[in-house]
Amino acid sequence: MLDTLEKAIASINHVVLGKEQQVRLAVACLLARGHLLIEDLPGMGKTTLSHALAKVMGLSFQRIQFTSDLLPGDILGTSVFDKNSGQFVFHPGPIFAELVLADEINRATPKSQSALLEAMEEGQVTIEGSTRPLPEPFFVIATQNPVSSSGTFALPESQLDRFLMRLSLGYPSPAAEKNLLMGVTRRELMQNLQPVLNHAQLATLQAEVPKVQAREAVIDYVLRIAEASRAQPQFAYGLSPRGALALLAAAKAWALLAGRAYVIPEDVQSVLPAVVGHRVRQQADASGHGGAALVQWLLREVPAL
Amino acid sequence: MSGPALIPRISLTWLLAAQALVIIPHLLHVPTWLIPLWLVCGGWRIQIFRQRADYPRGWVKALLLVGVTAGVLLSHGTVVGLDAGVTLLLATFVLKLLEMKRQRDAQVLIYMGFFVVVTAYLFEDSLLSFAYSLLPISCLTAALIGLQQSRFNQRPWATWRLAAGLLLQALPLMLLLFVFFPRIGPLWSMPTPDVARTGLAESMSPADVAELSRSSELAFRATFDGPIPAKERLYWRALTLDDFDGRRWSQSSINRRANVFEPPWQKQGEVLDYQILMQPTGQPWLFALDVAEPAADVGRLQVDFRVQSAVPVEQAQLYRLQSWPEAVRQPQLPDVLRRLNLRLPSGFDPRTRAWAAELRQQYPDDQALVLALLQHFNREPFHYTLRPPVLGQHSNDEFLFATRRGFCAHYAGAMVVVLRAAGIPARVVAGYQGGEVNQTGNYLLVHQFDAHAWVEYWRPGKGWQSVDPTFEVAPERIEFGLEEALADEGSFLEGDLLAGARLRNIPLLNQLRLAWDELNYNWQRWVLGYQGEQQLRWLQSWLGTVDWQRLGLTLVAAVALLLMVLATWLLKPWQARPPAQQRYLQQVERLLAHLGVQRQTGEGARRFSQRAQVAIPAQAAVIKAFFQEYERQVFAGEQVDELALRAACQRLRRALPWWQRWR
Repeated sequence: MLDTLEKAIASINHVVLGKEQQVRLAVACLLARGHLLIEDLPGMGKTTLSHALAKVMGLSFQRIQFTSDLLPGDILGTSVFDKNSGQFVFHPGPIFAELVLADEINRATPKSQSALLEAMEEGQVTIEGSTRPLPEPFFVIATQNPVSSSGTFALPESQLDRFLMRLSLGYPSPAAEKNLLMGVTRRELMQNLQPVLNHAQLATLQAEVPKVQAREAVIDYVLRIAEASRAQPQFAYGLSPRGALALLAAAKAWALLAGRAYVIPEDVQSVLPAVVGHRVRQQADASGHGGAALVQWLLREVPAL
Repeated sequence: MSGPALIPRISLTWLLAAQALVIIPHLLHVPTWLIPLWLVCGGWRIQIFRQRADYPRGWVKALLLVGVTAGVLLSHGTVVGLDAGVTLLLATFVLKLLEMKRQRDAQVLIYMGFFVVVTAYLFEDSLLSFAYSLLPISCLTAALIGLQQSRFNQRPWATWRLAAGLLLQALPLMLLLFVFFPRIGPLWSMPTPDVARTGLAESMSPADVAELSRSSELAFRATFDGPIPAKERLYWRALTLDDFDGRRWSQSSINRRANVFEPPWQKQGEVLDYQILMQPTGQPWLFALDVAEPAADVGRLQVDFRVQSAVPVEQAQLYRLQSWPEAVRQPQLPDVLRRLNLRLPSGFDPRTRAWAAELRQQYPDDQALVLALLQHFNREPFHYTLRPPVLGQHSNDEFLFATRRGFCAHYAGAMVVVLRAAGIPARVVAGYQGGEVNQTGNYLLVHQFDAHAWVEYWRPGKGWQSVDPTFEVAPERIEFGLEEALADEGSFLEGDLLAGARLRNIPLLNQLRLAWDELNYNWQRWVLGYQGEQQLRWLQSWLGTVDWQRLGLTLVAAVALLLMVLATWLLKPWQARPPAQQRYLQQVERLLAHLGVQRQTGEGARRFSQRAQVAIPAQAAVIKAFFQEYERQVFAGEQVDELALRAACQRLRRALPWWQRWR
């Protein structure tokens, strides 16, 4: 099973060049049943990553381009009157896919944003009085551009908390970029990409994650991290209990990816920047993008053993 | 040791500071040339540290040593003895700076410093000097810490605080040893510093007493088991003067000799129990109320009822006495003594003798004659003053019939001469009268200005009787003290402007003075005086009978108890012992840290193991084995197997060279 997973990761890496760590984190996020926020400049391969992930994992894929005039109905779907049957027929929106890419999520109004975020949290949507379950598995990858902020609605902290991880892809290395320029186009590669896992296998793997052992020593480490983020003056606010749970869940997924049945502090440290970065804010940082320095501090100063 | 261990800056700083503090109390009695020597050596050592100067060559050192020895010889006339010895010690203490190259040398210097601090107690052992010596001791300890601990570099106060903390922690042990450690008498006679002392001398002329009356120095303190008796009953006998040469009163040869025989006396009336702490006098006699029965180790009652110790009192001495004030003293007087106490020098005071003969005819009864004489002093215009006119050859004639101005020594001397001339055996008693009551401490302070002289005469069957002619002239001297008696004259302590006793008219200052004196008294009584008899009695009150076996056992038990309390405090057994994995991890961390691989705070076991394997390839396999075992037990939830961990730890230890194993 793990070999298959490794094969899947290798296939994604074949398309998204030189981003092994991020790909691995994205997969871990998927395994931990979390949602992913990718924060990066346009053209860094966010869409490619999402698409490749969907393909390889055998998930149906939908992309919603968030704009300021996007309405909740555009995401969730609407009921349309059918002349023939004389009834309202529900037309599901793009959210009814297994992997939803919410592109530039911060361009939509908070109303539309919350429609997506509620769906992420509940795993179901309620439209016109009837509750409709979302497909299983359900995985949202949202992206946002951290630089151009005019005409955007930044996600509030409560919404950021719903994302298990926040990633930043960053520029590729020169070698990776050279390969990118010399090779065939991504689109063609994408078409050739074959699903490596099926739904059943994915579900099994996701069910494995909570079974990964986290002994007291690791739990204590997570607690120390949470405690430090709450007690230290440079943190504007600390890690919420949900954040601590997220950290542990992500670490378990990471351990599973590493083929281990137990979590070690290194697992926590590996996922820490992605899981905690968007949940803490520096006292002096108003924009909220500077969590990295705090995470580095936590990595360095919180006793691991 | 890797290369010469140099002396860290912090240690040098504290060492120089401590040296200054150690030397300061000695400045009073060392020759002045030591000060420039010290400054030059200190400056030189600092320049060496700044690499502006070099260590002195051998011949320079030799020259300095010869110079210092010559200096000591010139200043003291010898290189042995206390003063010369201390000067020599201080000089070497200072010179040692110049050959302090390595840590070992600095250690020698520091230990020397501790020794020099102790020698200061030979000169001054008051409470203040003890409190002061804590300062150099803490600085020396700080220098010792600075020598060993590099992490204190650049942090002088942290070093000093640690030193003070260490000394504080040593306090219980110190107290324990203080209480229990047997005071072994010195194996050789303790040399005492040459100090000029004030106090009573072996012979007395009025001028000597007048001199004493100007001194506000303390003579002794007394604590009574019961209430303090009224002042007019407090006649403290020091010695008896029974030989008159026309000018001075002194001890006769029989009297002066110690332990001739104990005079016969009969206990009678009430008994007074008291304890006296006397200041050093350099004389063998002790102060006591009549008639005292001293314990064998305190001293012996002499033929004239004075109490004399076997050796001169060179240090403050604490002793207990019992006195029977109403005892009958020597009801039968041997002929030798009778003759002695009737002897008058021929050719002096003819008028006094004639008057005595006159009195004798008038009053055939001894008792009546004495009463008449006392009344004479009372009725005639005699005047009590510390500024008497100068007397000529026939001093008693002039005093009794012309000047009629004088103080206790005049009255006592004149009275004895009259009594002897009238055929009544009599002698002068020198000592102290009264004292100042310290209300809070409930003890008596007797100063030099309380020095007094009075008269005792002998009655057949009744023994020696004390009378005080001064009381007839100036009763306030006896009832209230010297200051009251001299109120009109203003001559009280006139030569001693700064005397604390002058401040007694300001209530607050007087209270402070008495409180301070009480503190000092308790210091001397309970700390310095805690030896010999005192120690034995105190221990007896706690342990019952005291023998050395029992004492040793108690000491050992107390030390063990103390160590147990300390160990409990340090190890905190009530806190759960850390799990085995953590303990072995710490051991391995220590071993690896010693090999140069230190685990970072945020570093997990696996990453640290990898780093250590790279850093110490020779032990990679062993390190890996330990950390795998550790991870298995701590994170994978495997059965906790202390033995496996220990085995892995042992393997790592064994893989190291032997001198790096036990860290």
